[in-house]
Amino acid sequence: MNPEPLFLTFKLASLTTLLLFGFALPLAYWLAYSRFRGKVLVEAVIGMPLVLPPSVLGFYLLLAFSPNHFFGDWIEEIFGLRLVFSFPGLVVASVIYSLPFMVYPLQAGLQALPVSLREASYTLGKSVWVTFLSVLLPNAKSAILTAIVLTFAHTVGEFGVVLMIGGNIPGVTRVASVAIYNEVEALNYAAANQYALVLFVVTFAILLLVYSVNNHLFRVRRPA
Amino acid sequence: MFIFSSRDLLLLFAAILFLAACSKPNDKVVVATAANVQFVIKELQKEFEKNSDTRLEIVVGSSGKLTAQIREGAPFDLFVSADTRYPQEIYDNGGGETAPKVYARGALVLWTSDSTSTPELQILANPDIKKIALANPETAPYGTAAVQVLEKAGIYELVKGKLVYGESIAQTTQYIATGAADVGFTALSIVLSPEMKNKGRYVKLDSATYAPIDQAAVLLKHSETSPKREKSQEFYDFLFSEKAKVIFRKYGYSVK
Amino acid sequence: MSDAPLDFQLRHDLRTAAGPVTMDVTLRLESGSITALTGPSGVGKTTLLRLIAGLVKPQSGRVTFGEEVWLDSEKKIFLTPQQRQVGLVFQDYALFPHLSVRQNVAFSLKKGEDQSHVDELLREVELTQLADRRPHQLSGGQQQRVALARALVLRPRLLLLDEPLSALDRAMRQRLQDYLLEIHQKHQLTILLVTHDLGEIFRLADRVVEMENGKIKRQGMPEEVFAETHTPADGPAIYGEVISRLIENDIVTVQALVDQRIHKFRLPISQATDLLPGRSFLLRYAVDAQVVEVLR
Repeated sequence: MNPEPLFLTFKLASLTTLLLFGFALPLAYWLAYSRFRGKVLVEAVIGMPLVLPPSVLGFYLLLAFSPNHFFGDWIEEIFGLRLVFSFPGLVVASVIYSLPFMVYPLQAGLQALPVSLREASYTLGKSVWVTFLSVLLPNAKSAILTAIVLTFAHTVGEFGVVLMIGGNIPGVTRVASVAIYNEVEALNYAAANQYALVLFVVTFAILLLVYSVNNHLFRVRRPA
Repeated sequence: MFIFSSRDLLLLFAAILFLAACSKPNDKVVVATAANVQFVIKELQKEFEKNSDTRLEIVVGSSGKLTAQIREGAPFDLFVSADTRYPQEIYDNGGGETAPKVYARGALVLWTSDSTSTPELQILANPDIKKIALANPETAPYGTAAVQVLEKAGIYELVKGKLVYGESIAQTTQYIATGAADVGFTALSIVLSPEMKNKGRYVKLDSATYAPIDQAAVLLKHSETSPKREKSQEFYDFLFSEKAKVIFRKYGYSVK
Repeated sequence: MSDAPLDFQLRHDLRTAAGPVTMDVTLRLESGSITALTGPSGVGKTTLLRLIAGLVKPQSGRVTFGEEVWLDSEKKIFLTPQQRQVGLVFQDYALFPHLSVRQNVAFSLKKGEDQSHVDELLREVELTQLADRRPHQLSGGQQQRVALARALVLRPRLLLLDEPLSALDRAMRQRLQDYLLEIHQKHQLTILLVTHDLGEIFRLADRVVEMENGKIKRQGMPEEVFAETHTPADGPAIYGEVISRLIENDIVTVQALVDQRIHKFRLPISQATDLLPGRSFLLRYAVDAQVVEVLR
């Protein structure tokens, strides 16, 4: 068994999770606290990847990323980057595809915090930014963990979009899920089983680790 | 919140039973069809149904997926593959009535959606060409053929870094048609299909430079008493009729 | 300390359970005074505190504290809560769950800033022993004291308290009232306190403001506002609550809670017709006799 697709999968999932965390945090903050009326529209758009079949999303990303399309052309001109059939393209697609899995838990976590925590911090002279970092984030740890785990797991399991825009290039875009599909197509069921087993064991171990750490760190608090 | 009373539930249950009773067992002949044959099969279906009471249902998928499904007992009557390997595999595992038979031979083309220039093998190494699409050579015969053509032309190593692989000939076609890949290898039958006709430009590649892409069909096993056995045989025979051959040729296949 | 009264005039639309109400309040809090803000729920008391602290921007108005202009909607001046540095104690205490008691109190200090004031405040509210505990390990009264100490670290001149003692039992309430009075004296604070408790009002407040439907209904000294008859304030008034009463002949013996202690009063029946258990009253010692005023 060639371990490359597995490495690619975990590289893709880690990178996607990292980027998405940085991007989703301000977005979740805005969604949680803004009183802007058009907010529901943004919320609905973010949720679209939950509803759209991955192959549909993949097809439209393929169209958009294609150098024939103005978006793909623009990206290629500005960054010299072609998003179809490339690893960066997979990352961008995964970020879009996994967006709700990061944003929604973060938003819910922030919304669950009492408003008075923020306000207390403001009256104690702390800026919005300091309040966010030193009051809100530490008290939303559980939500942050959930968001990260969901995003990572979801990206590992992603297939339709990756297959559509990746082009199945060994070492570049052939991630584990595509490799498994490939082996099934080639009737190499034994190889497919091996990939699947490794994927299963590794992701299960990650989830187990994360949740046991979570239970240990944030045990249910009982008032004295 | 909706709260169902027990009367509502009873009605619902009755409705489900009624619907279930309505869906009679399918008496259509189910034809599992490889993606690149789908266009021609649809035309064959039209022709076939003109002179027969037997009705067909076409299920399209990649040959590998359909093979895996047939192995696990999918209710298909006939398998029209894009190659000879998958039908042989099924027959070897005892899934076929008779040995698979080649119904047509496919032709490979080099195709681009850019209608301002004619694609040629020689230009593939040019730096302007960034991505070349082909079907996965490990699983699709058109992909294997494309690699052979490139090797024969002596440019495989040169263009290897530009290759992108569609999971099937259909996806490869999509890569080329959307312009995501600058150029690519696909089946002549696809560029001649009504859906793709007059889009971009193509050249037919010399059939001496790749191993023949023989496409075979296999009649899947039925029980002795199955009422669909005869009907399936009827369409299977039609595939090899003169009428069918005309249609195959129209789509760029060569037939004996 | 300079004389710095808080003056405000605020207009703000409220959405209450009973529908929209426009709050329109003009008020002055004298420097160093304690003012109690009272009235039924949902009339905008908490919103008023939040407006003064700068947490909510009103539709229009003006807020000044001494020479400082905190808000002037005409001149488009709006100081943020950070700039106003008002001490605010929330109804739910709003302690930071992830920080210890000491870290909570020291939260407003910058890194490396002198911590001696924190130690002093912890001592004042008797929390030095519990400084390393987390908020969830404390009782309600202890949490309240942490919130009070935390609000005082930046040495605010104005302290706003939103029903700070409502969740506490009687004994704890009295101890905290003592803390509050001590702190008021020591730090020379102007205090605005939302409360429903008449005892608290009489014990702590110089003035009381009663709100209804977003407007000020009545204001004045507690005995002026709550006594039924406006007898001139001759001599000290004592606030009490009736616990029980016993009628023998023409004399009524009333047991009442005054200053957290049970006292017995004997009154002629003519004066005690309304002194039913649960009622509040004011007891005045006039020159010749004691006078009882029953409060609403």
